[in-house]
Amino acid sequence: MIDLNKTLGIGSKKGRLFGIIVLLILAVILPLIFGMNLFLLTILVLMVIFIIYASSWNFLTYTGQGSLGHAAFFGLGGYVSALIATASGLSPFITIFIGGGAAALVGLFIGVICVRLKEWFLAMVTFGFAIIIQTLIVSQFASISGGWDGIAAPRLVSTTIPYYQLIEYYSIVLIAVLIILLFWIILRSKIGLAFAAIRENEMEARAAGIDPVRYRLFAFLVSAYFSGVAGALEIHNLGYITPEIFGVDISFWPIIYSISGGLGTLAGPIVGTIVITVLWDGLRMLGITYARFVIIGVLLVMIIIFLPKGLISLPENVREFIEKRRKSS
Amino acid sequence: MAGVDVVLQVLIWGLYAGCIYILLATGLNLIFGVMKVVNFAHGELLMLGAYITFTFYALSGWNPYVLLGASVPLLIIVGIIIERLCFRPILGTGKLNEIFISIGLIYIVQNAAAIVWTDEWRIIHSPYERITISVFGVNMPLDYLIIIITTALILIGLHLFLRRTRIGKAMRATSQNRNGAMLMGINVERMDMLSFGIGAGFAGAAGTLWVVSGQVFNPYMGSIPAIKAFAIVILGGLGSIPGAIIGGLVYGIAENFAIFTLGGAWKDAISFIILILVLIVRPTGLFGESAE
Repeated sequence: MIDLNKTLGIGSKKGRLFGIIVLLILAVILPLIFGMNLFLLTILVLMVIFIIYASSWNFLTYTGQGSLGHAAFFGLGGYVSALIATASGLSPFITIFIGGGAAALVGLFIGVICVRLKEWFLAMVTFGFAIIIQTLIVSQFASISGGWDGIAAPRLVSTTIPYYQLIEYYSIVLIAVLIILLFWIILRSKIGLAFAAIRENEMEARAAGIDPVRYRLFAFLVSAYFSGVAGALEIHNLGYITPEIFGVDISFWPIIYSISGGLGTLAGPIVGTIVITVLWDGLRMLGITYARFVIIGVLLVMIIIFLPKGLISLPENVREFIEKRRKSS
Repeated sequence: MAGVDVVLQVLIWGLYAGCIYILLATGLNLIFGVMKVVNFAHGELLMLGAYITFTFYALSGWNPYVLLGASVPLLIIVGIIIERLCFRPILGTGKLNEIFISIGLIYIVQNAAAIVWTDEWRIIHSPYERITISVFGVNMPLDYLIIIITTALILIGLHLFLRRTRIGKAMRATSQNRNGAMLMGINVERMDMLSFGIGAGFAGAAGTLWVVSGQVFNPYMGSIPAIKAFAIVILGGLGSIPGAIIGGLVYGIAENFAIFTLGGAWKDAISFIILILVLIVRPTGLFGESAE
């Protein structure tokens, strides 16, 4: 029997509900407390976008897949959305979903090649695709993509509207909540059970009449789509896009966020993104530059070795540890 | 316009580039063969090898080829430390974990190097920089020839080590059947350590050769060669050392032809196109038996 709680995240129902409410309240009031502190607002917006991105990446791991090249989808969503919004004058609120669609199309193509590959092979091929797409953008499509210089993208909310940054922030939060809700609905449904069955034991899943290839492909499609949406959100927030968006860092961040939070759970990428972002920007404020990469790297290695289920399992581990101590004394 | 001499020229560049890839890929393969783990941070070891050579060169001013004697042993030590601290604890906990722990390692090593050596691009000049020799009517830098010969010598050395020595045989036994080797009284954990050390040493040698050939380097340059080396490993088949050698040569040559025909922007992408094509046709690589 597959424990649904495991797929969804933190232990008890009460704890989960409490966590969600606290997070939502914080998301709403934080920018109000700090007023119009632009620096903080920028960090918050990026954090929420990366929560979407990390959650989408993490969606793949439910079927036991992994990708080292999600920057391909993140960047494609951004480019397509920016180009369409500029050419047609459509609101970025519409074009981000078209950008996601383009990412999903490419994702489907990559997925068809990848679904039968495993682990390292899959990792390599996805990594390779990010580089191939970057190369295409700077060479073959340079005339429309602006080559290495990139292109400008319209802001999500026009800068002429008062408090446009706040409006942007709240709309991105809303989109993030809706996407994560959608993930939750998918994972609660039969599809989620099929995912878990495939991840745990592909042979048995097949024997039970589940077609692993179809479900893997579906996970790839969904993951690519929402990574594209996240990418589009980011570039409309920044106001420009360059091929740097396909870089290795952009591929690795969602992995770092998801692992440090807890792989294969809904709460994991959210918790991971928040903790790592706070740590990251906190260290920057202390004036630490290269060393913070080292710190994040050490943290990642230690989490993989000592906390294989991520930070969200920390309270549980601490509780177990205390109970063990009490029993022995 | 592509005359025979141009083709030959590109072939020689490819052969030289292939040598560095072969050293990386063979190291990866050795580690994979014995431990069944993939070290995605292998390129960072190449980068360390490059910087160690650079530092010793700046300090001593010796012929940089001699500095192979510094970079290889130091990298063997680094490799052993990495194996003990990072890979041994996660051995057998899932293949994705190896990839993820490598990502952590990449961040640590790259940025520690950036702290120590700054992130400027560096270059050193080989004493033979201006000397070229003529091969079949094509000019070839003497450095390339030395690199090709050095690589061949290292590979012959590895072959003899694996075939003729007791430890080498024990390593092969471990890679063929870990449990069986353990029952025969082979200390498999020591074999893990050794294979990781030698693999890292190979990366160190590749780093030195990278530097002496006059290529620029900075702390972040290792990722792409490493990923390519891994693609070569897949191309040649996981665990197959002859596969890695042939794969490395094919790669180096294909890459240089791509630069020549499609333009420099395709240098990195072409390797992955080859990889993906190979995987579509033969998911286990050209010389591999089974990935499972």
